[in-house]
Amino acid sequence: MAKVLEPESGGVALQAVGKRLPKLDALDKVQGKAVYIHDLKMPRMLYGKILWSRHAHARILNIDTSRAEKLPGVRAVITGYNTPEIKVGFLKDNPVLKKDKVRQYRDEVAAVAAESLEIAEEAVRLIEVEYEPLPAVFDPVEAMREGAPLIHEEKGSNILKLPWKLICGDPDEGRRQADFVVEETFLLPWVTHCCLGTSGCLAEFQPGGNLTVYSPTQIRYLAQRDFLEAMAALGLKDKRVRVVSTAIGGAFGSKLDTYPFEFITILLAYYAGRPVKLVFSREEEFFATPARQKVEAKIAQGCTREGRLTFRDVEMVLDNGAYTSWGATTPSVMMMPISSLYKVPNVRYTARCVYTNNIYATAMRGYGNPQATFAIESQIDALAEQAGFDPLEFRMLNANTAGEVTPQGFKVGSCGMKECLEAVRESLNWNEKRGKRNGRGVGVGSLIHVGGGARIYKSDACGTIIKLDDFAKVTVMSGATDMGQGSDTVIAQIVAEELGVCIGDIKVIMGNTDLETWDVGAHASRTTFVAGNSALYAARSAKEQILALAASLLNEPQEDLAIKNSVVYSRRNPAVSMQLERVLRAAHFKTGGTQIVASHFYDPPTQMLDKEMKGNFSAAYTYGVHGAEVEVDRETGRVEILKYVIAMDVGKAINPMLLEGQLEGGAAMGIGYSLMENLQTEKGKVLNPNFLDYKMLTFADMPEITSIIVETGERFGPFGAKGIGEPPLVGSAPAIANAVYDATGKRVRSLPLTPEKLLFDADGSEERGGE
Amino acid sequence: MRRFTYHEPKSIADAVHLLSAYGEKARLIAGGTDLVVEMKQGKKEPDHVISLRSVPGVNEINFSGGYLRLGAMVTHRAIERSPLIRERFTLLADAVDNLGSVQVRNVATVGGNICNGAPSADTAGPLLALDAVLLVEGPEGERNISLNEFFRGPGKTALAANEVLKQIIIPELPPEACSRYLKHTRRKAMDLPLLGVAVTLIPEAGGEICREARIALTLAAPTPIRAIRAEKHVAGKPFYRAVWEEAGVLALEDSSPRTSFRTTAAYRKKMICALLPRAAAEALERSGRTMKG
Ligand SMILES: Cc1cc2nc3c(=O)[nH]c(=O)nc-3n(C[C@H](O)[C@H](O)[C@H](O)COP(=O)(O)OP(=O)(O)OC[C@H]3O[C@@H](n4cnc5c(N)ncnc54)[C@H](O)[C@@H]3O)c2cc1C
Repeated sequence: MAKVLEPESGGVALQAVGKRLPKLDALDKVQGKAVYIHDLKMPRMLYGKILWSRHAHARILNIDTSRAEKLPGVRAVITGYNTPEIKVGFLKDNPVLKKDKVRQYRDEVAAVAAESLEIAEEAVRLIEVEYEPLPAVFDPVEAMREGAPLIHEEKGSNILKLPWKLICGDPDEGRRQADFVVEETFLLPWVTHCCLGTSGCLAEFQPGGNLTVYSPTQIRYLAQRDFLEAMAALGLKDKRVRVVSTAIGGAFGSKLDTYPFEFITILLAYYAGRPVKLVFSREEEFFATPARQKVEAKIAQGCTREGRLTFRDVEMVLDNGAYTSWGATTPSVMMMPISSLYKVPNVRYTARCVYTNNIYATAMRGYGNPQATFAIESQIDALAEQAGFDPLEFRMLNANTAGEVTPQGFKVGSCGMKECLEAVRESLNWNEKRGKRNGRGVGVGSLIHVGGGARIYKSDACGTIIKLDDFAKVTVMSGATDMGQGSDTVIAQIVAEELGVCIGDIKVIMGNTDLETWDVGAHASRTTFVAGNSALYAARSAKEQILALAASLLNEPQEDLAIKNSVVYSRRNPAVSMQLERVLRAAHFKTGGTQIVASHFYDPPTQMLDKEMKGNFSAAYTYGVHGAEVEVDRETGRVEILKYVIAMDVGKAINPMLLEGQLEGGAAMGIGYSLMENLQTEKGKVLNPNFLDYKMLTFADMPEITSIIVETGERFGPFGAKGIGEPPLVGSAPAIANAVYDATGKRVRSLPLTPEKLLFDADGSEERGGE
Repeated sequence: MRRFTYHEPKSIADAVHLLSAYGEKARLIAGGTDLVVEMKQGKKEPDHVISLRSVPGVNEINFSGGYLRLGAMVTHRAIERSPLIRERFTLLADAVDNLGSVQVRNVATVGGNICNGAPSADTAGPLLALDAVLLVEGPEGERNISLNEFFRGPGKTALAANEVLKQIIIPELPPEACSRYLKHTRRKAMDLPLLGVAVTLIPEAGGEICREARIALTLAAPTPIRAIRAEKHVAGKPFYRAVWEEAGVLALEDSSPRTSFRTTAAYRKKMICALLPRAAAEALERSGRTMKG
């Protein structure tokens, strides 16, 4: 249950916003009625299957598809040699069907469309590929060395030409000013999203040549643009692409890019002349879907005797894997905590992304922030200890505050960091429990994240169209994407509040590029803030139109009119009123009538980061603190979480129930990342592509989460709200690692924090466990 | 998954006959929770799948004449819900309490768990520590195999390709005996053990001295094993923690744990030493006594 720390009430009691409402499609989902890509079937539909590489790095000498082509029921067999070249990813370094060479086991070498999945699987087995293995490299540090095998020869180097760099103030001077300095190296593993619904899509060409792609994507409109490029490659330049969203069985960043399998499905549908569906098996989901990358982070921080931070210096190497997706851009978000978590005047950050023959890196909830925050916040504890401060006090001393402008140029509006720290202190019984070293310990991890969108593209906008029918039923068409987080419900609440109608009268439609207006995608914890504001302003515009109509019908000045419970009334004289539906019918049923349709395109007041990577790129910043109490079994090294608390400054909780869902779900991911998740690879091969060996938490492993909602009222947020989609997993790892340190005196600087790492010395005096 | 013909013989003899007739191409199926997974992965591709579900009597639990007899098709759920097993063969109930999920336990069988020959099988350690004997039937009729001789390597057992496990026979324990199976996992549910420790203790009259101990370990070696040196060490000695810590060290001599991507040999060794005394102490606690020291 959540405890809500509310700000001073703004006076007006809210009707729909702030209510604990179950997600609108919850019943459909639990009854199995929601239609996922796995459920979708079309007349004459074929099944697609991909042939993956058998090597981590090899030249393709020959592909013989003749036996597959002869198999009854096979309708198309494609390779890089009989299809136009299409390259994907933001550096366009990933051909959808590999030609000449493969760079990873996950590489797509050929694909088949057949009448049944069994036939497609059999056909793929019949394709014979001749390879000549090449020397491979799996460690990014080795891959940077002179003479290392090149993953993309034409680039001349394995280091991506994305030299991430941020310098604020004078970090060297900051180091000189420090009385205490701590320097450490942290290691973070590959982890993956583990969506309940595996990846997949269905492509169908209409008779005229237009294409429809059914997909659980997080980026309907950017995907539409990518698919149009594929159409151009096929010579279908003037045709249309419609992207239709299916219900999404989890995304967490995994569906924030377009991937080869989607283009392969389109190609198969084109060459077979029939709709084709391609859905990943669980094993494919594990090894073929890009993941959160492995990071090595060297970090130094220092403070004065008085406990003020003077500098932070971070140098990272990121394993990019064989191809480039959004993983390579996560340093742009890592910069945020590095420059702006706590008040730290002098900052240096550099990061290199390096090609290897590993699986490749994409976006995952938190977008680099969990890796960076693990390093920063683990070290804050170490620094506090050196300087002789209680770690929580130390954080209070350096905490961010409302109104500050951070060294990277973030203009912090609302900021509840201190409230969150205090709330966690109380909830954990910190003063009592800390510092015992008796196998039980407490720890905290603070976080900052964008809470008002993020201007990654030139636009960070979302469009909304609202219309009302004869019966005062409202249809909201939003460009946003609901991927289970509850955008449908939150948008309905915002519109209900603004229009003065009840939630049941609102239908939110999302998921069809032919219908709704544009949105940049469901990323950066932006949907409640950006799509919420877009819906709010569209609703306001609809309301203005309604009140103007009602003013003439009721003979009252428009400024005096308001809507509540679907009745338009005069605030001055409530007896003067009219049912909303009568107002609407009066508009429709008359000569020269009109209709109520409103739209709004909301783009938050933000800046793109400049050349120095500075600027106010979000309209609001979300703060929070994770706290954990743990017990460590000294014989087995097992860590038991006794208590877990998240205090989050969310501006305003539009729907506390869904918010708790985000906090608890995020904590489950964060605790899994901290203690057991690890996508293990050996020479590029994923060793644990299943839920037995990829350890996600089960219900039994999940501690009860105490959610503390801090409401600070964000000036630009819809009803004061800020985004919170990603933060609930960002602070977990340092909170747990710090608690384990408090319990045992052992500092583990790599994740997952396994029993092996706790029992064996890092200095090698005993065989070191872990992987 | 490849297509196959499904058979449901009405007797063990018919099953044996089918197995003999189809040879390599045939495979028995019980609950299918191991077999079907492997078939989906393409690791096993039988043309004939022979189910034992229509054979009468193979899913019965019978306790008489000093023996507990578990039919090969007894499900883990049936074991879990048997008050008799929980009371008199407690470590076997421990084995199934945290095996897979309820859904898995509803169909997965004890026979399948043993015949699959996995080094991690949860019932293997407890059944070894219960001195179980297997009754199997082949073309030449029935024979008994001591479980101690059954496991031959990962996925390998003493069963011939055309033999069927009928029954698991477990001698009754004296009323003063107590037992414990500890399954050490990363996760609390839906996990295979990193190490399994099964202990049956039979105290002397008075309860202070250990008359006999049976200690079995899983994942300490390529197959489930009995830790004979440790058993000998504790026999005749009082229930002292120090004695059991020594037993842990001796158990290492019976073990040859491996490093894999799941964990390291060093960690498994440490767990043998940590968990053997713990399992013994928890077994004793069940009979109202405590480990001293
Ligand atoms: C999700 C999941 C979780 C699991 N968790 C665990 C766990 O925690 N602990 C654990 O130990 N196991 C676990 N397992 C593995 C499996 O459930 C068990 O090993 C189970 O006991 C196998 O029994 P079954 O009846 O399903 O065997 P089947 O799959 O039907 O058969 C297994 C093998 O034994 C052979 N066989 C079966 N019966 C006989 C017989 N009477 N005579 C001769 N040969 C026979 C079959 O030919 C096959 O080779 C899990 C499996 C899954 C899918």
